[in-house]
Amino acid sequence: MSMKKKILLVDDDLDLLEQNKLLIESKGYEVIIANSGKEGFETFKKVKPDACVVDLIMEEHDSGFILCYRIKKDDHGKNIPVFILTSATYDTGFKFGASTTEEKEWIKADALLNKPVIIEEFVQKLEAFFELKK
Amino acid sequence: MNTYKPKVLIVDDEKGLRVGAQRLLTGEGYEVTTAENGTDAVRLGTEAEFDLAVIDLKMPDLDGLEVLQQIKEKFPNTVCFIATAFASYETAVEATRLGAHSYIPKPFSPEELLSNLKDGYQRRLVNLEAEKWKKEREESLLEVAFEKTRMNIIVNSIADGVLVVNKDGLAVLHNPAALRFLELQRISVEEYILDKLRPEILEMFKKFIDEENNEHKSYTVQIELKPNREFFIEATASAVRHPGNNLAGVVIVFKDITELKKIELIKSQFVSMVSHELKAPIAAVYGFLKLFNDDSISLTPEQRKDYQNRSMIRLDGLLTMVNDLLDISRMEMQTVHREIKRVCVHEVIASILELFQIDINKKGIHVIFDQDEYKQCIKADSDEITRLFTNLISNAIKYNREQGTITIKLSLSDDYLLVTIKDSGIGLKPEEKNKLFTEFFRAKNDKTKNISGTGLGLSIVKRIVDSYSGKIEVESDYGEGTTFKVFLPTIISN
Repeated sequence: MSMKKKILLVDDDLDLLEQNKLLIESKGYEVIIANSGKEGFETFKKVKPDACVVDLIMEEHDSGFILCYRIKKDDHGKNIPVFILTSATYDTGFKFGASTTEEKEWIKADALLNKPVIIEEFVQKLEAFFELKK
Repeated sequence: MNTYKPKVLIVDDEKGLRVGAQRLLTGEGYEVTTAENGTDAVRLGTEAEFDLAVIDLKMPDLDGLEVLQQIKEKFPNTVCFIATAFASYETAVEATRLGAHSYIPKPFSPEELLSNLKDGYQRRLVNLEAEKWKKEREESLLEVAFEKTRMNIIVNSIADGVLVVNKDGLAVLHNPAALRFLELQRISVEEYILDKLRPEILEMFKKFIDEENNEHKSYTVQIELKPNREFFIEATASAVRHPGNNLAGVVIVFKDITELKKIELIKSQFVSMVSHELKAPIAAVYGFLKLFNDDSISLTPEQRKDYQNRSMIRLDGLLTMVNDLLDISRMEMQTVHREIKRVCVHEVIASILELFQIDINKKGIHVIFDQDEYKQCIKADSDEITRLFTNLISNAIKYNREQGTITIKLSLSDDYLLVTIKDSGIGLKPEEKNKLFTEFFRAKNDKTKNISGTGLGLSIVKRIVDSYSGKIEVESDYGEGTTFKVFLPTIISN
């Protein structure tokens, strides 16, 4: 019997946080939640999750990027997938995709997930990462 | 001779000569006036302009030269003849000096008189023509000079930059403003300018040169001269054509559009924020509904109830936000219909507190406000004043701690009614204070994350206060509480 994979879910919207927790749990994962960038990193250090899903716009417009960057710089974090959750790609006009190598260096998210999360798509992407690690 | 009859003045003390000359000249188509002495002659000759005058030199009262001088002084173009039997070299010279056309020695034959007058009249016509031409020339020169100065003054006064480049690339005209837009210290007269133009501008110029029959009236280009939207310009190039439609040159007008670009950025940021803020509650409600419909997730009745309530709260928030946005938009378009009447602020505040009584009790907040302590009425729209203080009091409750206090005081400060609203809430960090009145700004930290709000309330407060020429101040210590001071003019001129 294998242990359930631990997913850290970070979002400042408490409702969305709970909804996504239920959805991901229903697919057989253990979900740990945090609702700010700051709390997210503290929780990350404590629970050492197998993957992270981070909302982009929390305290600041780029809180998700900053959290992602900090996780990826961590010894444990550099080996796990980090997904950035956003609705900002197309409808808010915020500049997004890394256009320069410098930005690519900086934005280390493994994938972008659009809101609302389509759970099957998420699980598929997540499992692909876990497969790769085996 | 045409129908015009040249006017002749005959001056002679000898009656026979006057009568004879009159008969002769009238028959020849002249209009003749006669004078029998110098005094009459001067009067007649200066009263109306004659084409010609024949003046006898020797008269009992006035000397003929004297008459000549006075007529010439008044009408320099009257052609005058001196008639005399005592012609001397000296008088001839003197008469010519005074402006006489010539001499007619006495006695003279009718033919001699006619021939002299005919010659004199020709002279008169030439003189008049010359004078007319001279006058026209002077006037038009004056006009040209005036036009040129006027145009220079106008072009130099234009805030937009103007540069005219001829076909050969020489700067034929520019105003001082153009230098700023071209980032040049100076442009000399007819200086070759093409190598000093930015590539974008040069390209427009070349389009006109390369395509002689270019139908385009103008080209426009926007250039960021200083990065980060510090200096943004728009250059419009138009063809200057000769009357035959050949290209003479290109006129380029430069405009400073920095402010416009800044507003454009603010607008798109605002739209971004609005869509993000509107999307969040929709996504939350959508998410709950999806959970309800998801058979693979079983929810307890308590969970269902909880999620329904939370959906309602999010929808309420959404509705409030849309209403706030509509208010802001109305205020910006100045379409708010105001009903200015007496509004008693102490009463408004008392009724707002009554509305919030449940929330106040729930948090155990102690409110210190005595509506009889200071009564003040102002002239304003009562809905707006209610909105203003509702937003402030609602914040004082929402961001307060359990068992906290709210102190509201009215007083007079110069010509302003001063309303002080002090809470014992979470307070503001210095960096939060500066952003407080901007749209969608909400202090985001551990203490505020469970407080709902649109981030528009204080922005509306500020707009209302500004619209009454009032002011709002905020004092705050993080963790200690916040004090808002609203100054409203007691006499509102509207």
